[in-house]
Amino acid sequence: MRSLAAPKRWPLSVKVPLAVAALMILVGAVLSERVLAGLAETQKVHLMDLAQSYLDGLSSALAPSILRDDTWAMFDAIERAESLNKGVRSIETVVTDTEGAVIAASDPRRHRLGSIPANVSQAPFTFIPGGNEAEATRQISYPGRTIAIIHARFDTRQLAAQRRDVLRSLIITNGTLTILLAGAGWLLVYRMMRPVRILTHHLGSAERQIPASIPARVIAQQGGEFAQSFRAYNAMATWLAERESLRLRLAEEERLASLGRLASTLAHEINNPLAGLFNVLATLRSHGEEPLQRQRSIDLLDRGLRGIRDVVQAALTLHRSDAVRALAPCDIEDLGLLVGPEAARRNVLLRIDATLPAAIDLPSGPIRQALLNLVLNAVAASPPGSQVVLSARCDTASFTASVSDEGHGIAEREAAILTGRSSTSILELGSGVGLWATRHLIDDLGGSIGVRRADPHGTIVDVSIPLHAPVPQHASKEMFDVA
Amino acid sequence: MQPKSGAQALTRRSLLLAALAGTITARPSKGEDFLDQDEIRFGLTPVFLNSDLELLDRFQVYLRKVTGLPILLVTRRTYQEITALLISRQLDAAWICGYPFVEAQAQLQLVAVPIWRGRPLYRSYIIVGADHAPAADIADLRGDIHAFSDPDSNSGWLVTNALLAERELRAETFFSRTFFTYGHRDVIRAVASGLADSGSVDGYVYEVISELEPDLTGRTRVLRRSEWLGFPPVAAPLLPVSPRRLEVLKAALLGMPSDSDGAIILKTLRLDGFGREDASLFEPIARKASLVAKLDQHA
Repeated sequence: MRSLAAPKRWPLSVKVPLAVAALMILVGAVLSERVLAGLAETQKVHLMDLAQSYLDGLSSALAPSILRDDTWAMFDAIERAESLNKGVRSIETVVTDTEGAVIAASDPRRHRLGSIPANVSQAPFTFIPGGNEAEATRQISYPGRTIAIIHARFDTRQLAAQRRDVLRSLIITNGTLTILLAGAGWLLVYRMMRPVRILTHHLGSAERQIPASIPARVIAQQGGEFAQSFRAYNAMATWLAERESLRLRLAEEERLASLGRLASTLAHEINNPLAGLFNVLATLRSHGEEPLQRQRSIDLLDRGLRGIRDVVQAALTLHRSDAVRALAPCDIEDLGLLVGPEAARRNVLLRIDATLPAAIDLPSGPIRQALLNLVLNAVAASPPGSQVVLSARCDTASFTASVSDEGHGIAEREAAILTGRSSTSILELGSGVGLWATRHLIDDLGGSIGVRRADPHGTIVDVSIPLHAPVPQHASKEMFDVA
Repeated sequence: MQPKSGAQALTRRSLLLAALAGTITARPSKGEDFLDQDEIRFGLTPVFLNSDLELLDRFQVYLRKVTGLPILLVTRRTYQEITALLISRQLDAAWICGYPFVEAQAQLQLVAVPIWRGRPLYRSYIIVGADHAPAADIADLRGDIHAFSDPDSNSGWLVTNALLAERELRAETFFSRTFFTYGHRDVIRAVASGLADSGSVDGYVYEVISELEPDLTGRTRVLRRSEWLGFPPVAAPLLPVSPRRLEVLKAALLGMPSDSDGAIILKTLRLDGFGREDASLFEPIARKASLVAKLDQHA
């Protein structure tokens, strides 16, 4: 929902009609303003002409009466002028002398003879568009000397109503046009965006799985740039599918390789006790009738077989774990059991330092596989007589583990692959596939890997995986099947 | 415009008109040409409902039919202009007001007097706006803007001025402002519109208009009705321009009720007819004129 609140994230099919509507509203507003300004000017000129004609007639009719001080003739002239000029819609006409006193008025009750009228305009012509009244003033000069001033007020409600009608028509017309154009804009963009939607749909599905190609039938329906884009997308999808297939094959090979590396030491680990066990069996055959001897032999057999069972179980857990099980302390301890023989063969001391709760909310498989890879690499890099330490901790926020050795230090290129700084293609990895697989296992859990130098020499690899981190959708099962 | 004293105005006008009349008399050849046109020239003052052109047409048609002579109806804005034309004998006769008649009685003769509601009489009304402050008497109108009809009108000027003169008051100072409308109907309009607070108007005209335009008179109220006075008469120069024409005209006026067209005109005018009356009918008006003139002389 947050995406809807941010206009930048709105789909184009919404943005374009809105932009069209906004543009139309702007254009409509400007046009309306121009039309209304033109109307106001026309109304003003029209009213001015009417007022002019009214005042011209009235002035000439009044002048002789004013000179004769003929009150009735002035009043009668105003009444006749008003009835003759009905088009001007006079509200009130007041004639004042040069002192400002009323000498005639269309409404003598309101403007008594001799009174000084209040609120009469002195401006030659005042018209406010949309207003209910306009005013005009005219000086009567005879001959050349001002003898009186006519103040006239006109009813302009009809003009205001006309203006309102025009405005209403403009709003209705512009509003209808805006809605129609916005709708047309939406339809147009919706149709234009169809290829983009197809592409987006295919790309969206590619986030979850290997991208599917766009059918040739759909490409055929499109022309121009979009057909080209579709073909380019299909080429990319094909390349990605091939790349994914290659990656899976490499991962499988790496898994088998790591299995191979373990196999000989595991065989040795099983073989050594087996020789002792056969000796015990021989002892049991020859001295089995002695209860004490028999009991001792059975105990020895039991311990020997338990040891073999543990090793076999650890190997099985590592290599055949299909179920996503929570990480437990035994998973770390098993690593000691699995790598112990290889370490012993190389005369490297492997120390496990794990302080973990009974169950950690992380999948055991990928962590076991990643740590196994790191410990195997550490053992391989360690000179005889040195020590490899696997330590693991867990607090409320994260699970951390570190593998340290006393070797000559990891190569820069390998460290880059491990930490994800390298952008090396899987096809260029060569011997670094194990490191690459380890990094991806940790990446999939939302974790990170850091590499640092140990003092005085050696390498420390730190793994940190946040608890409750969202596990990426594409976390691949096959990744922790590696080895 | 301030009302002039009727007496002063008339004196000046009488001299002018007398001189003009003398000129015409002294040059009979030109006058005879003019008079020999054998056309009845009949003057009408605004006391008549002069806004009704249709009525004027009917009146003209009627007179032509009955007299058998062409009729020229002469109308002017003021009483003074018609009276001047009459006294200067440019008209055979004119329907004038009682006030100019008494002022120029020496040069005029009565032809006929309209009969309204059975009598040759009418009244002057003082009207106020319907929204006027409570008033019961003319004294309550002090400070008003007052509309008069015409400075030569009996009902529209003289009666109110005489009423004030009785109290030794003058309209110019009693009212804050006065003006003339030169028509009784316009006095009613002035008061109804609020241009004037009060006005002096012909009672006959007011009654007819209240019948024809009740909305107009409805915005006014009659404050005072004067005593009955002589109805504005039809007068002719003392020395008729053409005795023959005057006679046929007089007969046409007096015979109006018995003619169908004449009866329609009279009905429109709300008059019963025209009667022969004695000039003494107008003595009350003459007394009012002298009362006002006396006050002017004292001023």
